[in-house]
Amino acid sequence: MLKYSIRRLLGMIPMLILISIVVFSLAKLMPGDSLSGEIDPLNTSPEYIAEMREKLGYNDPLPVQYFNWITGFVQGDFGKSTRFQIPVFDLIMEKVPNTLLLGVTALVITYIMAFIMGMYSGRRPYTLGDNAIAGFNYVMLAIPSFVAAVFAIYIFAFQLNWFPFAGSVDILVEEGSFEYYMSRMHHVLLPAIVLGAMSTASYTQFLRNDIIENSRKDFVRTARAKGTPMKKIYNVHILRNSIIPLVTFLGFDFAALIGGAIITETIFTYPGIGQLFLESVTSRDYPTLMALTMLLSFLTLFGNLLADILYGVVDPRIRLD
Amino acid sequence: MKKKSLLWLFALMLILSAFLAACGGSDDASNESGSEGEGSEGAAEGEPQKGGTLVYGLDAPPEGLFSSAFYGIATDFEVIELFDEALISYNENLEPEPNVASWETEDNKVFNFTFEEGVKWHNGEELTVNDWVFALETIADPDYDGPRYANVQTIEGAEAYRSGDADSISGIEVVSDYEINITFDEARVNNLTNLWAYPLPESVLGDVPVAEMSASEWVRSTPIGIGPFKVDKIVPGESVEFSKFDEYWNGDVNLDKIVLRVIDNSSVVGALQNNDIDMISLQPVSGPEVEPLENVEIVTYPGLTYYYVGFKLGKFDNESQTITEELPKYQSKELRQAMMYALNRQEWVDAFFFGYADVVNKPVPSSHWNSAEDSELIQYEYDPEKSKQMLDEAGYVDTNDDGFREDPNGDEFVVKFSHYATGNPTFESRAQAIAQYFEAVGLRSEVEMVEVNLYYDMVEKDDASIETFFGGWGTGTDPDPSGLWKADQLWNYPRYNNPEADQLLDDALDIEIVGTDQEKRKELYVEWQKIVNEDLPMLYIAELEEIKALNTRVGGVEYDVSGQNSPAEWFVTE
Repeated sequence: MLKYSIRRLLGMIPMLILISIVVFSLAKLMPGDSLSGEIDPLNTSPEYIAEMREKLGYNDPLPVQYFNWITGFVQGDFGKSTRFQIPVFDLIMEKVPNTLLLGVTALVITYIMAFIMGMYSGRRPYTLGDNAIAGFNYVMLAIPSFVAAVFAIYIFAFQLNWFPFAGSVDILVEEGSFEYYMSRMHHVLLPAIVLGAMSTASYTQFLRNDIIENSRKDFVRTARAKGTPMKKIYNVHILRNSIIPLVTFLGFDFAALIGGAIITETIFTYPGIGQLFLESVTSRDYPTLMALTMLLSFLTLFGNLLADILYGVVDPRIRLD
Repeated sequence: MKKKSLLWLFALMLILSAFLAACGGSDDASNESGSEGEGSEGAAEGEPQKGGTLVYGLDAPPEGLFSSAFYGIATDFEVIELFDEALISYNENLEPEPNVASWETEDNKVFNFTFEEGVKWHNGEELTVNDWVFALETIADPDYDGPRYANVQTIEGAEAYRSGDADSISGIEVVSDYEINITFDEARVNNLTNLWAYPLPESVLGDVPVAEMSASEWVRSTPIGIGPFKVDKIVPGESVEFSKFDEYWNGDVNLDKIVLRVIDNSSVVGALQNNDIDMISLQPVSGPEVEPLENVEIVTYPGLTYYYVGFKLGKFDNESQTITEELPKYQSKELRQAMMYALNRQEWVDAFFFGYADVVNKPVPSSHWNSAEDSELIQYEYDPEKSKQMLDEAGYVDTNDDGFREDPNGDEFVVKFSHYATGNPTFESRAQAIAQYFEAVGLRSEVEMVEVNLYYDMVEKDDASIETFFGGWGTGTDPDPSGLWKADQLWNYPRYNNPEADQLLDDALDIEIVGTDQEKRKELYVEWQKIVNEDLPMLYIAELEEIKALNTRVGGVEYDVSGQNSPAEWFVTE
């Protein structure tokens, strides 16, 4: 297993180099830079813009720019955000806790809902309940998250007043107090429900199909013949086998946890990685944009590796070496 | 089986209709229209009340550069305005007025400033002229990474300080803690309005190297100023808490707290309706939705932004800073005027700015003191018949019977109109609307939408595919349009080249000619406006109004063209 992991990790290096070239060229191919766009003649002058372009190295040849960027990047220096004027690393670290909280809460909601619905559907396939669950899942999958977010704000925040409509915390509560953490949970819940409840489809249907398939296998028949209660067969024997394919998802979720939900975070004005990403695109903040894309690419690769390794852990039949 | 699937379909429909019903619910609750103030008082009547918290909304997240010397975008400045003040303020005619500092000058070259005594920073230190010197030297520092150097450049010796040839700026002479003389490199009429008039707290930033200032905590998380409110806490990108500053130098402060919240555009109307925010700037598109709300009042005041359709009349060389080539297509003044008469600007403004804009015929905002009266300018009322007649006379007639006019040489003539594209879906339709006005008088038109960053790049570099283009400018408190109009300026996008007009602009700034006489300056600017009003290097469309939404419990808020009054005067009832 260790040998396998090391081999995979080494294999990621050329992949990451290729990704970095693609990310860099795409960013540079975007028209304009952080200094172009609508100019406010009060605050700036053509001389200042020309000077800043020179200072930021936008006039260097592209290979030089790439080399400067990648050498800094490898050493952990992601550069300085052209928009916020602080190191990109600090900027990302500032947003990560919010995004992690949102991601984990959403994932927990997804898992709980998918487990309940998947187990119910798997046990009673082709019934009204099963069809209703499938219908619900696919409708949720089909509704774009930004539509759902706007509706959720309108209904639950403005009409029912159950949740705050924006932000990650109430600024008036004292930091570190019990109310502070309650306020954070209160703020994160609505976006997390929107994110979590919308993406149950794949988990639920995977679990359902697997349970149906396993319930027809020989070991189930044997267990039933021995007189094991049906409840135990489903909750122990079948479930254990059916969870295995779900473990692969966990690896993929890893990148999504950090990547955040770009649209949902923006609509809820929830300051996380997703919102930062969108802003860095619109304001041509290359250093931030490139650092985030690289980070997410790395996490996706790493998540895949994690999924493969976990596979071997939960299912001894699969050998990695 | 079939029956079952029908059943769940039915159940699904029920769920969906429940959703829809919930959404249609409450919009019709109030039909009465909110009253519209004209750049005047806030909503609540009567005596100012003490105490209370006001929630101030922002519809875009600030960047977090909360220092007057370093901020880059207007959103950050909105935050700064709540806790800091300039040394000099501007009245409703955009003329400078003493605030913390008053001044005297005899020749517009040497200015003597006197500061109020006892003005305190939020950390308890007293404000002295040294804090201003510190601000000016920071901005003139070679390591300074903000965009304000143009406001310091004109001080004598600033160039030498910036290039490292001098240890201090020679034009700055500190007389005492409260008195300072500033000498400019030459006498200009707008030296004072151009000068950087915000101090920077030397007591906290003094030890920070200039290159690191914009990233320091004194700019990011614990900024201080001299305004009526001090910053208590900042949650980056999300909210800021301000509380009353007890040692504020200029009178009493009414409110106890201001909480600033960032909210997404899609939530603005709902948040106003639910009393979640007390005041916020509105986009024109939200106006019609907010007007019917009973608990919200809309206040408008004149803005300093105008929109236009420009013609590319030439090409500019940025190295030599001259217009090197003349493009023939739109050189005919009659053609440009005919195109102006073809535009129904009022209809267009009502459709796309919901009435929150006024049609203009000149490139100087009406609220500037040097703006020309309507009676002095050609008004270009919508008149398609006159437009057609002018085109006929100028030789643009349909010679091949395809329904569209050809140019005087008989060649096909197509108006190529470019507009920038962002996520905003109304941009394409508003560009199409303009093209349709041209087509209605027989000019074939094509619309091209270009991604906004690329667009401005192409406009600036005189790309050949840009022929007529949509644009907008925001002008500042300094009413001088030279930077956007003279032939040697990069931002003169139409490449308008009229030495006579340029001379008028130069004269209006020349202290030998106008002295300190504002009337004389105005005459020259009006003369200039008459020229560009007739020449039409761009078709002036409209100037925007600023729109604010105020909850009815808010009072004491006043707006004029220079912006809002001091937050110290704001109050809330209840």
